[in-house]
Amino acid sequence: MPLTFIDIERQKNWRIALFFVVLLLVYLAALAVFGAAFLGVPLGMATRFWVFAGAAALLVAGIHFWFSAYDTVNTVLHSLDARPPDPEDEIHRTLLNIIEEVHVVTGAKRTIQCAVIPSLSLNALAAEDLKGNSLIAITEGLLSRLTRPQIEAVVCHEAHHILSGDCLETTVAASIFGSLSSALEKLRYSSRNRMFSLPAFFLAWLLLQLGYLLNLFISREREYRADAASVRMTRNPLALAETLHLLSRGWRGAGFIGSGFEMLCIVNPRATALDEAEGFLPNLLSTHPPLRRRMDILLGMARVSVAELDRKAALKPSAGQQDAGKRYFAMSPRQQWEGPFALQEMAALPWLSPLSWIAPGEGRTPDRAWNDPLINTIFLHRLNGSEPAPNGYICPTCNQPLVTATYEGTRIYPCSFCAGTLVENARIPRIIARTCSERPCTERVHALARAVLRENQSRRIYQMSSGKSVATLPRLPCPKCKNPMFRGFYSQVHLIEVDRCSYCGLTWFDKDELTMLQCMIENRLAPESVGAA
Amino acid sequence: MVGWILLGILVLCILWLITIYNGLVTKRNDVQGSWKQIDVQLNRRHDLIPNLVSTVKGALEFEQDTLEKVISARAKAVGATGPRSKAEAENMLTQALGKLFAVMENYPDLKSNQNVMQLQEELTSTENRIAFARQLYNDLVANYRTALQVFPNNIVSSLFNFGTEEYFEAPEATRATPAVSLSLKGK
Repeated sequence: MPLTFIDIERQKNWRIALFFVVLLLVYLAALAVFGAAFLGVPLGMATRFWVFAGAAALLVAGIHFWFSAYDTVNTVLHSLDARPPDPEDEIHRTLLNIIEEVHVVTGAKRTIQCAVIPSLSLNALAAEDLKGNSLIAITEGLLSRLTRPQIEAVVCHEAHHILSGDCLETTVAASIFGSLSSALEKLRYSSRNRMFSLPAFFLAWLLLQLGYLLNLFISREREYRADAASVRMTRNPLALAETLHLLSRGWRGAGFIGSGFEMLCIVNPRATALDEAEGFLPNLLSTHPPLRRRMDILLGMARVSVAELDRKAALKPSAGQQDAGKRYFAMSPRQQWEGPFALQEMAALPWLSPLSWIAPGEGRTPDRAWNDPLINTIFLHRLNGSEPAPNGYICPTCNQPLVTATYEGTRIYPCSFCAGTLVENARIPRIIARTCSERPCTERVHALARAVLRENQSRRIYQMSSGKSVATLPRLPCPKCKNPMFRGFYSQVHLIEVDRCSYCGLTWFDKDELTMLQCMIENRLAPESVGAA
Repeated sequence: MVGWILLGILVLCILWLITIYNGLVTKRNDVQGSWKQIDVQLNRRHDLIPNLVSTVKGALEFEQDTLEKVISARAKAVGATGPRSKAEAENMLTQALGKLFAVMENYPDLKSNQNVMQLQEELTSTENRIAFARQLYNDLVANYRTALQVFPNNIVSSLFNFGTEEYFEAPEATRATPAVSLSLKGK
């Protein structure tokens, strides 16, 4: 029998009770250790001690549980400085509309709050507490990069966590130790007093490890289920797949989103190898399934939807469909499947780019346009027609030949499709040296550079303090040797992320990264100056 | 003694009957409540269309035919009653609107007009709300129908004349994937 979204039973609430028992045991163990070590109580026979310790542990655990699980939504809001969407803002209004749409699914019986996290990182989270509040929060960075259907997919994914009830147990698990540890972590980052920061860090670390213990009870499956529910609601698997792909490449907020709140997020802010692994141990310990697996499943679903479309097209053959030849479906910038198109018609589509999704007919899994050799000839043709001859370098994101151009009097290799730039390492100092205030950077680039610098600063502090890298998982191939490039900050002062191949001596700047670097140098934007501003 | 046992069984039977009856009534009310939700969203769409038409009328001088189709489809949709006729009229309206949006794509002035963009966002949102409300309604109808037909509910339902409810059929195009354009660009 199909379950409506309001009917989904809260089958796993027993786990919340289990969390309380774990908390109780932790306090009991702490009291026992204290009693044995400092009071010299013989633990084996001190019945009175156990009665007293049991009562004390119950009281303290009860207070701890109440404070951490009762009003967690507000704690999350405050800790991330998240604000309600601004109805005057175009993108925020779209988000508000989408939240209203989700309320229709629930039969208007549940109210879900929505908030925007002022961060450039790419992530979204859902939280619910025992007070009955529920929240979907999306970072400003993610909102600005997604199309409407993609935001719909993310919101529906998070809404399913809330409606199915699994969000409540995750939030309780996260908040029991997480809210405390992330508060301590923040104190440590912001505090200049090392004397205070060291014990605080140890306490945060201890609480975090206890928090990870609770991960054992949080199933990875819930993410798959939320993905499936999102597709059921939006019927657009590709929008979610694209979003996950975007998330896999960007900074997911490690260092900004506190360590305790990781399991509430759509993707783990700390990109760990454990999350990308499969097997018994990763399944047990990790709260998020591998992104690649999630994307594969979604692409599989998209294949089914294309097959359906193809069958319908076959029922009503159009004039153009009579001629023989391969037919393609392509996803337009408005995230709609269009087609079927012949190769010539594909070539005439103004919006077709190497990163567009295409499906070569029924039953075929959608793929990037550059992966199809035939379609790829379209882009080669476009390049040959309008740009200077290619130079043998291939764009690491679109897989298209890079063109040669002159910039600040020296040679660079921009991509005509994604606006990224390849520069030989030897030439970067020249570009930097030639940056002068006579040609000031635009206001947009300046604002972007400041925001990126501020965000990357907290990220670097996180990296330095935790010793963990927050590198993105699929590394880009070198445009020359095809080996994976190293992704890291340009320098310790200029915190712009670039991809480098040390073997070939090449640096790849994504769109705007080169101009942002120049802007930082020109305006002497350094991490401290931005932090103080 | 036997009398008491029989009385006990009778009381149990009555309680059981009441439970089934109340369950069916609750499910039927859920269905009717969710139909109201669809109605609210359809009305919202009907209210937005005149605004959109008046905003784009000036720019689409040569597309009066498309605009008239939208207006007449809206008029039919406003007049329709009951799930089946409403679904048909709404599907026609969806198609007419889809055509209008496709035509608007060819007018760069309109695409960059703030008012039009806002109206388009509102209409997209309304379309989604209708789709979601329809999902909820159809899920609840399926629940209710199953509850009517399973044994022993079927005895109770025929005893108290519980009628079946109709599904709200999705338009052809949205059944495959949302907002799909089957036509070749420019044809």
